Formats: sequence, structure tokens, C-alpha cells
Amino acid sequence: MTWSGMRGIASTPTYVVMQPTTLCNLDCTYCYLPHRNADRRMPVPVARAVATAVEPWARTGRFSVVWHGGEPLAAGRDHLAALIAPFGERVEHHVQTNATLIDDAWCEFFAEHRVRVSVSVDGPRERNGDRVTRGHRPAYDRIRRGIEALRRHDIPFSALCVVGRPHPGLATELYDYFLELGCDVLGINVEELEGVNRRTNRHPAADVTAFWAELVAAWRRAPRIHLREIEWSLRYAGAVLAGVADEVLPRQLDPIPTVAYDGSVVLLSPELAGFSDARYGDFTSGNVLTAPLGEILDRAAETPWIAEFLDGVEECRSSCPYFGFCGGAHAANRYFEHGRFDATETDHCRNSKIRLLEGVLDHARDHEATAV
Amino acid sequence: MPEIMRPRPSDSVDSDPVTVRVQDARIGLAALIADAEEARRQREEGTATDGGSAVCAWNHFENIPTFYNWNNRPR
Repeated sequence: MTWSGMRGIASTPTYVVMQPTTLCNLDCTYCYLPHRNADRRMPVPVARAVATAVEPWARTGRFSVVWHGGEPLAAGRDHLAALIAPFGERVEHHVQTNATLIDDAWCEFFAEHRVRVSVSVDGPRERNGDRVTRGHRPAYDRIRRGIEALRRHDIPFSALCVVGRPHPGLATELYDYFLELGCDVLGINVEELEGVNRRTNRHPAADVTAFWAELVAAWRRAPRIHLREIEWSLRYAGAVLAGVADEVLPRQLDPIPTVAYDGSVVLLSPELAGFSDARYGDFTSGNVLTAPLGEILDRAAETPWIAEFLDGVEECRSSCPYFGFCGGAHAANRYFEHGRFDATETDHCRNSKIRLLEGVLDHARDHEATAV
Repeated sequence: MPEIMRPRPSDSVDSDPVTVRVQDARIGLAALIADAEEARRQREEGTATDGGSAVCAWNHFENIPTFYNWNNRPR
């Protein structure tokens, strides 16, 4: 079978990632972001240009702005409000935050601006050793204080958890922690060799697969959390069993524009923003201050690295049996692991897609007895 | 069964090794998928108009196929 999805790049995105500041008040050891110790703030005209571009897209379907970083709250409430202001009522706003700055005033801000919140926390205190302040002190207590403020204000939240070394015995501990934390949604990001983080992400296959299988078992005992990886896996598995597997992947790749603080636009992989390479340049496809975002997207494939990436997607399609589940290796993982965009399988693919699916299938195989 | 260590292109769904692996696990998967559906119902997920839960933040993306496609996701 030839998988028919993920051919080319869609001209209309479904969301845009915005960088209100490059600054982060933490200095996590695994962070991929360059310039995170510098406070380069997005000027309001950048937000205004993006808001103008997305207005027709938000009229015809759901559209989101994801305020990412740096640490987006480090931009301050007044500035973030000024950046949000140009966007129309129909645009949904999301923030990915380390939670350390969240207090009552921020909770009121989230409610007033209807900002949906996702926090980054890696599990219990002892699992957060990589999350440190600029003074290299543990950030965990500050993270928890921020999350407690969300709970105090009854603000629902999602959580992202970075796992440095997936292995048996860890998943249950993590899942139980997030049950207690009270998040509605959980995503597990196995640490990636990416950006300025050059730590290896190569792990024994059996350990990673067992981690995911154990996570399924832990989730199944108390499935109160929407667990992203399980939902994705079961959606694919269900489609295979229903004979509609080729309908799972979208027809085209989402361009996922990341608009950096200065208005420059990096497509497909926010992790490339701020980097440059002798062969590929600075990875940008334009700047919203000098060209409409729609025009930048229309010319996406003219960006040399993107043309190479699209070749890479086709190579994944023709060579990898997991393509129907995965849709092709992420651009940033290809580049930071292989130095090219037309390379195919990455350790990120292995950790977060291949072994995820295998772990889910292992769990299903080993729990047939619970089937009716 | 270990993961498929030597990926190869497939000519049909039937010969696709991942598809075969999924189908081999169909009994356990059917139960797991049923559990997941019940869990979604219990969590009252699935409505695009749901504005009161963080679930919709990522469901929002999942409801938009292009986020579900994994060509990137929040980190």
C-alpha cells in the first residue's frame, strides 16, 4: 500500500506558534533553545501582522495561537496582553509555560483572556533534576506553587513531561504523579537530541517499549487523564482494524509557522528557530513585517531545507512500515540527529513513535484475557 | 514480538508488517479501544464547543488533523 497522506505542505495552517520573548527564567539542562538567557521581546507590530493574516483562517475554522518561548510568561502580563489584543475573538490562545511565574494575577489573566494553559513538569520532585533556575537551584517548588495557583483558581491545565531515560518501572510512578497533580491532559516527550541539547537520546529498545507498555497499563487502571500518546496510538490501531488506516494521516503537512520575536518565520519545526547552518542559512522562510504570512506559506517549498525535507518525507513513505502511524520524521529531529532533512529514521522516531506503538501492541497482546 | 527492526516498504496493507502486527493484537486492542472510548465518555470529551476543560486544548489540535499528524507537537 502507498500511504496517501502527508503529501506536500498545506497553504493554511491550523495554528501558529508565537515567541513573545526569547527569555526563560529557568535554565533546564535539556533545553534546546538558544538565546534563552536574553530578553528579546516581540514588538506588537509583529503580533498585529500575524493577527491580520490569521483572521480569515479563524473565520473558516478553529484557529489557535500557541504562546511558546522562551518562557512566555517572562514577557509580562502587560506585554502579553498587548500581543494578544490584535487577534480576533475567534482565535484561541494557548500557553506552554514552566509554571514558575504563575500566581493569582496570572490566573486572572488566563481567565480574562481565555488562555488555555499547559505546564511543563517532569514528574515528582526527584524527576525534575534537569529543571533548574538560572542560579542552578531546583525549580520544582516554584513549579508546584504555580500549579497550585491554577488549582486554586479552578483553571484546568494540560501537562508536558520530559522523560530522559525511559525504562521499566518509571511509567507507573509518573502516571500516578500526574493523576495526583490533577492535569486533564498529559503528553510524554522523550528527551530529544535537539538544538543546543546534545545529550544522546539513544536508549535500549526493550526499555523504551516496556516503558510505553507499562504506561498503558497504568493509564488503564485510572484513565482519568487524556494521555496524548495513547490516544494517538489507539486511533491508528482502531483505523487499522477498521480497514481505514490510510485515512488517519492528514492529506498535507501543516506548515506550523513559528513566528520568532523579531517576526521571522520558521516553518514545520519551531526548534529550528534561532539556528543557522552553512548549507541551509537561518531556516527562515520570511518575516511577517515584510511579507504577509499567507505569502510566506505559499512560497514554503522554495525554502531550500524545506524542499529537502519534503524529499525526506517521501523517503519515509517508501521505506518505513510505520509511516501510516507517524507521517514521517520531524524536520528538527532529522537535522539535529543526521545533519540533513532527507535522512529518515531518527532516535526520536524510535523512542516516541515506533516503540510507543510497539509498547501499546505489547500491552494489548498481553492483556487479551480482559477482552470480552 | 520485538519491534520491526528491518523496515521495508509494503505493496499492500496485508503485507505491511505493522498492519499485521496490529491485526495480530486485535483481541486485546478491541478491549483497550473500548476502554478508551468509555474513558473519553467519562471525561466528557469530544465536543469542539467545550470551553471549560484543558482537554479541549489538545483535543482542539487532535480535532484538527494536521496537529494529530505529529509533524510537530508541543514540547
